[in-house]
Amino acid sequence: MEILLGAISSGLLLGMVIALVALGLTIIFGVMDIVNFAHGEFLMLGMYTGLLTAQFTGVDPLFTLPVAAVVGFLLGILCYSGFVKFLLRGPVVAQLLGTFGLMLFLRNLALLIFGSEDRALHHGILVGRSFDVGMGIIIPATKLAAALLSVLSFVGVWLLMNRTKVGKALAATALNGQGARYMGIPTERMNNLAWGVGGATVTVAGALIVNFWSVNPFVGILFTMIAFAVVALGGFGSVPGAFFAGLVVGLIMEIPGLWDFLTYLTDSEWMGQFPMTSLKYMWIYAAYFVIMVVRPRGLFGWKQ
Amino acid sequence: MEAIRNAFDFSDFPRIDLVIAGALALFFVVFPLSPHSSFTMATMIQFFMFSIYGMGWNTIGGYGGQVDLGKAQYVGIGAYTTTVMLIRWDIPFWLSMPVGMGFSVLWSFIIGYPLFRLKGHYFAIATIATSLVLKDIFEVWNFVGAARGLGISPIKYQPPDFLRLIFKEDIYYYYVILGFFFIGILYLNWFRKSRLGFQLRCIKDNEDVARSLGINVHWAKIKTYAIATAFVSMVGSFHACYVKNIEPEDTMSLDISILIALMAMLGGAGSLWGPVIGAGILIPLKSYLKEWLGAAAGLVGIDLILYAVIIMLISAFEPRGIWGIVQKVRRRKRR
Repeated sequence: MEILLGAISSGLLLGMVIALVALGLTIIFGVMDIVNFAHGEFLMLGMYTGLLTAQFTGVDPLFTLPVAAVVGFLLGILCYSGFVKFLLRGPVVAQLLGTFGLMLFLRNLALLIFGSEDRALHHGILVGRSFDVGMGIIIPATKLAAALLSVLSFVGVWLLMNRTKVGKALAATALNGQGARYMGIPTERMNNLAWGVGGATVTVAGALIVNFWSVNPFVGILFTMIAFAVVALGGFGSVPGAFFAGLVVGLIMEIPGLWDFLTYLTDSEWMGQFPMTSLKYMWIYAAYFVIMVVRPRGLFGWKQ
Repeated sequence: MEAIRNAFDFSDFPRIDLVIAGALALFFVVFPLSPHSSFTMATMIQFFMFSIYGMGWNTIGGYGGQVDLGKAQYVGIGAYTTTVMLIRWDIPFWLSMPVGMGFSVLWSFIIGYPLFRLKGHYFAIATIATSLVLKDIFEVWNFVGAARGLGISPIKYQPPDFLRLIFKEDIYYYYVILGFFFIGILYLNWFRKSRLGFQLRCIKDNEDVARSLGINVHWAKIKTYAIATAFVSMVGSFHACYVKNIEPEDTMSLDISILIALMAMLGGAGSLWGPVIGAGILIPLKSYLKEWLGAAAGLVGIDLILYAVIIMLISAFEPRGIWGIVQKVRRRKRR
């Protein structure tokens, strides 16, 4: 029971961070119907930003978030107005491959600049601390802070999307770009904004994740796929959907740990032989596949 | 008979194209007889393999407009079927290749049936997901060697072994894959003029119109997907015998799927020569960039940066590929 509670709590915490990773993807997809393969690479750059700022200035990694947000915002706008804008005129295949090229570009640029070794943070107020809540729930401080900030970001983005004029303009652009243009909404600026906000949220997520996850230039693709799964699960373009789907995916990622525990508990032969830990990410892809087949709109989606 | 005549009928291309194509075909046949380095030979074999992958992708992705980014899973199925059958039961290549194609087609039905209800991005990402699931399964499945992969030990056989396709010299592999290449071109030439080919182009242009004309859209897509799959799986089997050492990472990774799609798009998706042109540019470029730049100290990744820039430029400014440029120029001349 305690193990189960512990697994659920750590799954939920991880899920909140994963939801923040996927938030940027769902904003970008919702507003302009383009799948961004380079999303994980944005995250990777966010991780490096957080890490390097903390190392060079000596401030706590938690306070590097504004730097990461600014970098992400500029990166998003740069990618949109310098490259993605031209992709939108082309067919679907050009969009998919184009953002894939962007991903390859950013990844190898990072490889060229930062080198291929793993880097991790070893200092900071939160690194290595944890709270013991009891009932088997142990919460690492880094993850707790990350989860809380993720919730804050979600509330912020939700308010931006639903309670402000800019958010209405974004929604209008998403629903019908041409119609929005006739109404005097500067759709081009809205697209830029969507990429900026999308980039900022994901780099913030990266700067949070680097507190408990080591970074190398190849870390992106895993998060890209997880983010795709989250976005598909929650519905392309849906902000609350991304949050709940993130929680679900976080729980899915805790299955292997539970499996090991059950194996130990029941001492069964076949369970021990089943390579659950290596299949950790397969369940996410499988869940994604099933969701796509059963309900292509996702749980909260409004785009078909 | 009619089908065979159609396959050999290239008369709708301008004469200049046919002259170039004929000259190239002649060059391909005599190339191994001229002096060449083993590196050039390996690049040529890679070129043929990827142009056949691209041809497969082109049926569904080019003519049909359904962007499939999971082709690598069929490379894997073909390669693993051939290797496992050869290692465990000593079944020769020419028997295991059709079996592998059968497995691939079966798997393509299983995933194609639900997937073809999706469109555009959704379909593309879903194919990636299936590919990754399959790769993860192969990485833990002990029967196929898990993440270590499987190796064919050439010592056990007497090269040259034409039945099992085990050779010492690359020249034999070259002619085998060249044969596949020509068969592929002829098949596609028939395919684009077949009933299914016309149905597909109609689906690509407007699915609702296609449906109202009485085309069974779902079934046409599934059939074409199976054809594309068979192409890819065939070369996957060849890949196993050629490389002799296969792992999930280098037969089924996302990079290969993307490379296949990229090749067809760079050359010009939905045209007969597109995948060949694309492979003819990208494969040598990739090999030589790696050879020249990748090995230089301190410049890790710069070859891939250049390669990524090419992808980005092509997809942003000329998504119809090189064949699209050629046709644009021609149309302007005619005016």
